[in-house]
Amino acid sequence: MKLTPLELDALSELFNIGVGQAADALSQLAGEPVLLSIPQVQLLPKAEVIRQLSRGDDKRVSAVRQGFHGDIVTDAILMFPAEQSLQLVQIMVGEQVPLEDLGEMEQEALAEIGNILLNSVVASVADSLDLMLDGSLPEVELGIVSDVLLAEQDIDEPLLSLQVRFEIASRRIHGYLAFLLDMRSTGLLEERVAAFIRQLRGGGA
Amino acid sequence: MSLPRGASPWLEWAFTSVQAGLLVLDESLDVVFANPWLLRRARLDVADVLGRPFFEVFPSLRGSHFERRLLSARAVGFPALLSETLHQSALPLYALTGSPSSERLLKQSIQIVPMGTAQAREAGGRYLMIQVWDVTPLVVRERLLKQQAERMHAMAHIDALTDIGNRRHFDAMFEREWRNALRSQQSLGLVLFDVDHFKAYNDTYGHQRGDECLRLVAGIVESQAQRPRDVVCRYGGEEIAMLLPDTDLAGALRLARRVVDEVRARCLPHDGSPLGVVTVSAGVACERPGPGLGADTLILLADRALYQAKRLGRDQVAVLERHATPTA
Repeated sequence: MKLTPLELDALSELFNIGVGQAADALSQLAGEPVLLSIPQVQLLPKAEVIRQLSRGDDKRVSAVRQGFHGDIVTDAILMFPAEQSLQLVQIMVGEQVPLEDLGEMEQEALAEIGNILLNSVVASVADSLDLMLDGSLPEVELGIVSDVLLAEQDIDEPLLSLQVRFEIASRRIHGYLAFLLDMRSTGLLEERVAAFIRQLRGGGA
Repeated sequence: MSLPRGASPWLEWAFTSVQAGLLVLDESLDVVFANPWLLRRARLDVADVLGRPFFEVFPSLRGSHFERRLLSARAVGFPALLSETLHQSALPLYALTGSPSSERLLKQSIQIVPMGTAQAREAGGRYLMIQVWDVTPLVVRERLLKQQAERMHAMAHIDALTDIGNRRHFDAMFEREWRNALRSQQSLGLVLFDVDHFKAYNDTYGHQRGDECLRLVAGIVESQAQRPRDVVCRYGGEEIAMLLPDTDLAGALRLARRVVDEVRARCLPHDGSPLGVVTVSAGVACERPGPGLGADTLILLADRALYQAKRLGRDQVAVLERHATPTA
């Protein structure tokens, strides 16, 4: 995939709309303010995403995966280093005792958090780029990041990825959002982003 | 039932047999289908539901997170998951037996699945399916597991000989109560007890009697620390610690003296001691955490006070004036 810096900026803006909506929904759910921010949308090779997510000894991540299909086909994956996902769920659930592991019910809570975020960001992008999409229900995967990202395929292929920062109860939790796109979808996305920018410029002139 | 006419004969049977709640809404959120599983648990009749607006059937959901997710699923067409953990009971569905009271509410895991875009276009609107899973047994099981884990955790914190907390427990509780005291600016009391001439007792009567002696002393200390947050632990070999949150020096001294008196009053023979019976010495410290006063200082002060009590002849309580000692 190749996107110009300008196109990546435009995508960041679109993602941000969805992130804002997700933050509202999560705040309501948590009963306290949840701030969400995404610094920048990037195109990174899978290998680089894996490197960034597996800093430290613990290479395990908790991931929420949702498939979207229609004009484009993509797997959207929200990933947290395992220990960060425990913190996030603990705060959201209001549990006093620190969690040592994500039990079944906590995994479902993580699925919901991911579901809210993924639905919002994909909807805001799809809406602005005029993409028709249907979605699947979220699934939680616990494992090492290279498995979650299907790294045996196209390890050098750039991924559309964004860091997501959760700020809640004066703590910061870093997540990672990645989109696995096939060739055709990549092409269409590039096309639509370019068209979106042309339209903005046309409208602004 | 409300399946369209002409549907396959097995379809109705299958839908009525599903062991989960199923509810279908049309695009204007009128209920077009509800299965018996859901109706029975909602204590509703099919006539109460069919063709009626969803939020009239379930008015308690107005303004809820459920409503928000439902509307967003209709708008964008992506499925929504509502977890039990983050919502507790979303729909007013109750266990089949007994009255529909809040403690009989089912724990639910809910999925809102909107019809796909192409299909919705064909159907003339986006239908929404709501699936409800009863996860009450799962929640109960997880709660039991958590309780068990807590119990095992507690066991790892108990001294096998005396049945009071062990050193690990003391360290954990001491850290917690020191932090609490720091936040609430209350003083924290610590008493260290030590059985006098315990080595001689063991040498004279054997280790089994020594163990019994420790158990007796532990029981006496425990009987004096009766408030819920008071903590009694075996601190070292024959040393027992008593941690007293929100306690002033006078209070800590009073409890320490009671223990010392009570042990002496039991008249447990001790030929190796000049007093002839088992006695204990106690060191008391009581401080309000503040700048320049660390948690270690409290332990150090209690320890020194205990040494003082021993030096002054045992079978007594001692306390140090903190200002008379160099602060570490």
